[in-house]
Amino acid sequence: MSSSTDFHNQRPRFRSFLDRFSTDSLVAPDPLTDRTLVAVIFILTFIASLTAGLVLFGSAASARWQALLSSEVTVQIRPQPGRNIETDLTRAAALLKQVQGITKVRIYSYDETMRMLEPWLGQSSSLGGLSIPRLIAVEIDSKSPPDIPAISKQLAHDIPGTAIDDHRSWTRRLTTLGNSLVIASAAGLILVMTATALAIIFATRGAMVGNRDIVEVFYFMGADDRYIARVFQRHFFRLGLRGGILGACLALIVLALLRFVVAGTDGLRDMFGFGIIDPLSTVGLAIVIAVLAVALFVSLLVSVVSRITVHSTLSRLV
Amino acid sequence: MQVHPNRWGGELVRFENVGLRYGAAPETLTDISFSILPQSFQFLTGASGSGKTTILRLILQSLKPTRGMISIFGQDTAQLDKDGLTALRRRMGIVFQDFRLLDHLTIYENVALPFKIRGRMESSYRAEVIELLKWIGLGDLLQAKPPVLSGGEKQRTSIARALVSQPELLLADEPTGNLDPVLAGRLLRLFVELNRSGTAILIATHDIGLMDQIKGGRRLVLQNHNLQVEG
Repeated sequence: MSSSTDFHNQRPRFRSFLDRFSTDSLVAPDPLTDRTLVAVIFILTFIASLTAGLVLFGSAASARWQALLSSEVTVQIRPQPGRNIETDLTRAAALLKQVQGITKVRIYSYDETMRMLEPWLGQSSSLGGLSIPRLIAVEIDSKSPPDIPAISKQLAHDIPGTAIDDHRSWTRRLTTLGNSLVIASAAGLILVMTATALAIIFATRGAMVGNRDIVEVFYFMGADDRYIARVFQRHFFRLGLRGGILGACLALIVLALLRFVVAGTDGLRDMFGFGIIDPLSTVGLAIVIAVLAVALFVSLLVSVVSRITVHSTLSRLV
Repeated sequence: MQVHPNRWGGELVRFENVGLRYGAAPETLTDISFSILPQSFQFLTGASGSGKTTILRLILQSLKPTRGMISIFGQDTAQLDKDGLTALRRRMGIVFQDFRLLDHLTIYENVALPFKIRGRMESSYRAEVIELLKWIGLGDLLQAKPPVLSGGEKQRTSIARALVSQPELLLADEPTGNLDPVLAGRLLRLFVELNRSGTAILIATHDIGLMDQIKGGRRLVLQNHNLQVEG
């Protein structure tokens, strides 16, 4: 068969060089087992990648909300007998504008305040001149914030019935929520990785038993444990990479769809901000990198676990 | 094909009072003593189940003796570590009774396997493998895979794989068991030619007709768990 000979003679040198390290084709392919393993790795990688993406997404949203809350405080003035609340509002606003670190002060009018209360109290027209607490929205420079306790003390002294809400309880809750989310997700990722490792241990042992004759042939031809481990490691790394890439791709598609849903929904877009959902933003790129890193990590995990399993199984097999 | 002259001056294999038993059962092999010299040619014979394959496995060290001493290429196998065992096996070739070819690899790849395992670059052995395959009449089947081969072609591929690395000792387990007498005779001549090139041969067989074709060949006869050397 001269054509075969010619084919071999014409193979380029670099191909020969690569062949020296190519051991992956020496494990007999088992289509059913290989496909099942790729499917398992695909599902596990998808879950792990999605979890990693959502953690980054959630953490970024939480950080954004915290930043928004910490850059604004609300001054509340309750109506006091014998005092004109409009005068108190104007005076409080004037005092606040003089404080360094405060960038903007805005008094919510009586009508604006009533509109805020409509969900609880109903139409403002039916309530007449109901005496209600009034609000002043104060934006602060988050880089050099003012001394809020001192301002609170000063306002309470000058204008009775005044209180400042710096949203600390909300930022605390958001921080707790964000941390809990990260811990829960990390635990989920560990479980997924453990499940992956267990699946690989079973698959490797199965493959070794199925290839027992081949392993014995390798031994008799002078292969050592390291070589045989490398053969199986390459085989499973390729399967792991295939499953990992598929899982990561699906996770990226789902995250991209989520981005479109968020971008197309007014409330959600305001809540999360375009900076987070933009795939070219820092967070967007971090999510893409994290998903791809998860896929690569799963493949490496598969590779390392199969190698360890081969070494521990060889002595019992042959 | 050129075979390097044997590099070992002493006995290639030495068994001294070797016994083997499985668990608490009686000994399968009892007080087996023999040696294989460089460039020698011998048959290992006996009835089916007499322990021929077991002796080959003891030489290959895939079985350990229950008692006695086995020395391979001058090394006491009881003292061998894994790397030492690997080095010894690289000096031997083995032809399995059931061929043990890798069905998903081509004939060329199967025969080149010993070189690949040793980490050699394909360019350094490609011509050698093709030449050997042509020599044993498989030059037209380089890209064929074992499932499409006849029994004889599989057997020749298995022999080529054992020969390709030019071993100092070739072990063959019933190498002609699946062949017709004509093809069996051809393969035997292949072994003789290899032996003339310097490789010691040990063929396990119960085919008396095959053994009769070699005049002056030693016979290691297994009978009643013992071994007698004839010739």
